[in-house]
Amino acid sequence: MAVATKTAPAVAEDRELLISGSEAVAEALALADIDVVTAYPIRPYDTVMQAIAKKIANGQLVAEYIVAEGEHSQFEVVKHASTVGARVFCGSSGVGWAYAMECLVVTPPLRVPMVAMVGNRALDDPGAFGVEHNDALFVRDLGWMLVWIDSSQEALDTTLIGYRLAEDRRVFLPLAISADGAFLTHSQALTLVPPKAKVERFLPPYNRGDLLLHPDNPITVAPQANEDWVIEIRRQNNEAMARAVIVIEEAYADFRTIFGRGPENPWFEEYMTDDAEIILVGMGTISLPIKVGIRNMRAQGKKVGLVRLRWFRPFPTDRLVAALSKASVIGVIDRDYSFGSPFGSGVVANEIRAAMYNAPKRPPLVSFICGLGGREVTLEDVYKVTDLCYNAAKTGKSDTKTHWLGVRE
Amino acid sequence: MPETTFTNATQVLEAFKGIKKVTIEEYFTSGHRTCQGCESALVMKLMVKAAGPRTIVLGSTGCMYVANTTYYTTPWVVPWMHTQLGSSGAAALGTAAGLKALMRKGKMKSEPINVIAFCGDGGGADMGLNGISATLTHKEYNSLILLYDNESYANTDIQLSGLTPYGAHTTFSPPGSVKRLIHTRWKKNVAGMLAAGHTECRYVATVCASFAVEMMNKVRRALTIGGPTFIHSLDPCPKGWDYDPMLSHDLGELAIETGIFPLYEVDDGLLKYYGKTKAIVEGRKRKPVREYLLKQGRFAHFTEEDLAYFQAKVDEMWEKWEIPGVVPFKRLEAAKAALEVK
Amino acid sequence: MSALICEVVYRGIFQKNLASRITRGIVLSARKSGRWGIAFGRYGDSPQRNGIPAKDFAIVADTKEELEQNMARYEPKHVDVTICVDDTLAKGVESWAWYGLQPINRLTLPNGTLLMTSLQPFEDLLRDIHKKDEPYTLAVIRARASFSGLWVYKEDHTEVRILGALAKIAPEFLTLDGVCQAIGEMEWGSELKVASVRKAYERLEARQIQPGEGNAEVPYAFELPRWWEMREGVTIPAIPIGKPKEGGKGYVPERNPYFKKFTTRTMRPVVDFDTCVKCNLCWIACPDSCFDVMPDGTFDANMEACCGCGVCEAVCPVESCITMVNEAVFEDNASQWDMWRKDKTAYKTWLTDKITNKKATVRSHGFRFRGQYEEEIKTDLDAGGAEITAGIPGENAKHKTI
Repeated sequence: MAVATKTAPAVAEDRELLISGSEAVAEALALADIDVVTAYPIRPYDTVMQAIAKKIANGQLVAEYIVAEGEHSQFEVVKHASTVGARVFCGSSGVGWAYAMECLVVTPPLRVPMVAMVGNRALDDPGAFGVEHNDALFVRDLGWMLVWIDSSQEALDTTLIGYRLAEDRRVFLPLAISADGAFLTHSQALTLVPPKAKVERFLPPYNRGDLLLHPDNPITVAPQANEDWVIEIRRQNNEAMARAVIVIEEAYADFRTIFGRGPENPWFEEYMTDDAEIILVGMGTISLPIKVGIRNMRAQGKKVGLVRLRWFRPFPTDRLVAALSKASVIGVIDRDYSFGSPFGSGVVANEIRAAMYNAPKRPPLVSFICGLGGREVTLEDVYKVTDLCYNAAKTGKSDTKTHWLGVRE
Repeated sequence: MPETTFTNATQVLEAFKGIKKVTIEEYFTSGHRTCQGCESALVMKLMVKAAGPRTIVLGSTGCMYVANTTYYTTPWVVPWMHTQLGSSGAAALGTAAGLKALMRKGKMKSEPINVIAFCGDGGGADMGLNGISATLTHKEYNSLILLYDNESYANTDIQLSGLTPYGAHTTFSPPGSVKRLIHTRWKKNVAGMLAAGHTECRYVATVCASFAVEMMNKVRRALTIGGPTFIHSLDPCPKGWDYDPMLSHDLGELAIETGIFPLYEVDDGLLKYYGKTKAIVEGRKRKPVREYLLKQGRFAHFTEEDLAYFQAKVDEMWEKWEIPGVVPFKRLEAAKAALEVK
Repeated sequence: MSALICEVVYRGIFQKNLASRITRGIVLSARKSGRWGIAFGRYGDSPQRNGIPAKDFAIVADTKEELEQNMARYEPKHVDVTICVDDTLAKGVESWAWYGLQPINRLTLPNGTLLMTSLQPFEDLLRDIHKKDEPYTLAVIRARASFSGLWVYKEDHTEVRILGALAKIAPEFLTLDGVCQAIGEMEWGSELKVASVRKAYERLEARQIQPGEGNAEVPYAFELPRWWEMREGVTIPAIPIGKPKEGGKGYVPERNPYFKKFTTRTMRPVVDFDTCVKCNLCWIACPDSCFDVMPDGTFDANMEACCGCGVCEAVCPVESCITMVNEAVFEDNASQWDMWRKDKTAYKTWLTDKITNKKATVRSHGFRFRGQYEEEIKTDLDAGGAEITAGIPGENAKHKTI
């Protein structure tokens, strides 16, 4: 039976620390020796900036640390720093990410390998701190690579992998690492921190090559273009995203060789799916209640499994279709909304519907929206999800209704 | 960390002693799509001529982006990059920070590289003002922000901006049969505001390309003194102001001679008027504003009353301000004194 | 013919309002005989620049369906009538980088019409207009190019003259009465303008142009790169630094090879190298960096780069050292300095001939003072608006200051 990503036993030179997801990212940034980082306060992502500020104050990281006057400038500053060859980090949450939107739009065509952390947060109004995935999903169509993590260890590892991937000349695209507000950004877990020497073996220096903005490489970057040029430029971006698929596989493989841990399958985690009748799908820390629920239900003989999606862009279409085709029913749990969408489903559910369209075997799909605004996803929710999936299994038909869970009715 | 010889030094660019001593090379050449007689294109040319080859230029959206740097229609010899409309401040800061980080960490050969970000009046005085303000407080990063002011969103079809003069005809302020003047706000005093509000910014200047050598020398001073600096350039615009392109240079001179746009620099906390503005401060008579306004189609709808109001506001700037042309308010006792004289 | 497709090639801002009046006038006139129509500009040209060639279009058809047939494209590939309201455009049109030099009659259909305002004889125009493999008609209204800026329009009747001429060229779509009726109803119409329509209709000069007749020059052209040939990251190479003119002396800037901009030019500076005092003012004040520095310290306006703004004439302190002269009287873009160095006497003769030609030095390129246009066109309107020959009142070419 497939088991969740095993954390390899602490190799001697690794240090074990009790840190939050944000602090784990900060550890990775110090190991990656980033050059420029910009901060602006908004919960929950800003915990990573607080951690970086400490590291800089204590000399554990030498970097230009700039507190911007708003997210728009925050992202523009690192964009420009990256074009002159600096390794950069940035991040935001909720409406802060939205305020930076213009600058998020321009980084992919400029081929800026920025790594950003999104502390997923509900959008205003009302002002709310709790998790929702709609913020990061703003950029899903624009050439940003999007990954969701569910543990401090994964936060650290994915950040290192992220730089290796984004800064690969074949890719040169920005990456947003999504960490669920509170559950991951504000809770501490035991995390292995590798030594710098290992990281240097894994992560080469950022080399911008022929795209470097420097007097020794005189180029004009992003001149205004009329209809004679734009679609060709979009076509190039599409190609870069396609190449990212190969580079992601390479990066994870090298990571496992050098650090002795990390998943075989970069794209998603499969938990007890081998013999599963019902496969539930979700992103981020929602995996925890689902895994516990699955273990309890299996005790009662219900064959339920989980696919926790890590990479949303590029989307692992073929591998995911293969994994989900095995099930008799797929239950997709979105921690986001897409009002007026097909079936009123969330973004992930409809993405999977689209991916399955040409699949030879297309199990019924039931879609769920829950945990919005940071509302806890309970074991009862997970059981209810599973029951509704079993109902669909009986009829053999997709349930076209989208079920909202944990709402007072 | 590897050994590094990094210092935060800037290039030392001595003032050009006369037009014959000006660098012969062009770092901004032809190939742009700007209008005939585009003074802002001239500002670009003089700006990099003054800065020299070891310079990176960031250009925020506007005429000097869309008209001046179209795909494969670049005039730039030095490295150039677009930045968003409101991002000239962030672009200067980010580029300077990136270079500094790489140099002090020994990842890039350490040398002083000029960083210049330019913005139009819309990008600078409207949308980008907060970013410019922030950058002017980051004293450890050397950069120059140059605002080229052609007094409208001249690229998008001449819409009024915070720096469009009172009453001017724009596509957002057309004179109508019932409402003659739609735009009745007075132009922002950008250079004065930024000089007064950013105590660690060591250099703020106003320039006009009609006085090319002085203009270039202000750029050289701004790049030499170090830290974040700011220059406001008034650029006659044949398209938006509606005049024969041949007259761009002359209208620039008139803007100064009428006292509408004062030329000065605030150099390490010291205010110096220069050129024809200095002469005005020392008592030379200002030309009447009508000589300037009525040579532009954008003011063709002005009545005598409008002309008088415009003249009065300019007179006020010279006669009533605490520091003429720079600081608009007055100390109370000085105001009292002024009253007693009457 | 069940549809009439017209293009107006115009001088950017200088003629933006004029071109729009013409295309609107075409549609509204054709409407008078029950036709359907649309008027539109080539979106890529917007925002227009002073002088840089741009295009507007008007399509009229018998039925809505036929109209749609001809609208199903961003820019018509062929036109029945090419309207050109500035005869210096006869040398060709370069609107954007990589467009190359496009002949003014490029889109004109076989047996179509090229309609121009010009004072030049047909022979002179044909020295500039590139030859075609098919016959077409060259129709001329005797008038100067009408230039004015964005806000103050020059009411010199050019738009109605064009419409009057079109009534002659395509009567099946624009009847003379239809045009007159439409003009009468325009917010800018008037009795006098209706009279100008009829005069233009009567006075239109036309000549059949045979295949192969015209300028034999092969215009430069470029082929756009494919997506995988383009540099990534929206980057393009910068322009290289220039080099000395010769023998390590002087300086010639490198220039963008993909956009030369000289088709923007309506007048060019003619330089008297004998009277030049080498003050550097033209060189420093040129927004297009078009002055090459000669080994002897004089400055040669590079005719591939000069867009003819005239600032150099305005700043030159020496009387008649730099004089703006109408582009139409020049045959090529050859270096004036080379000509002068080769034979100074011959150059002096050539120069004198150019700068003393009042018809060629007369200037009217937009607003200079309130009331200027009214003065400029007064005499012409008294004469019924047949000919516009005036320039700036009392100034003509003699204006180095304002």
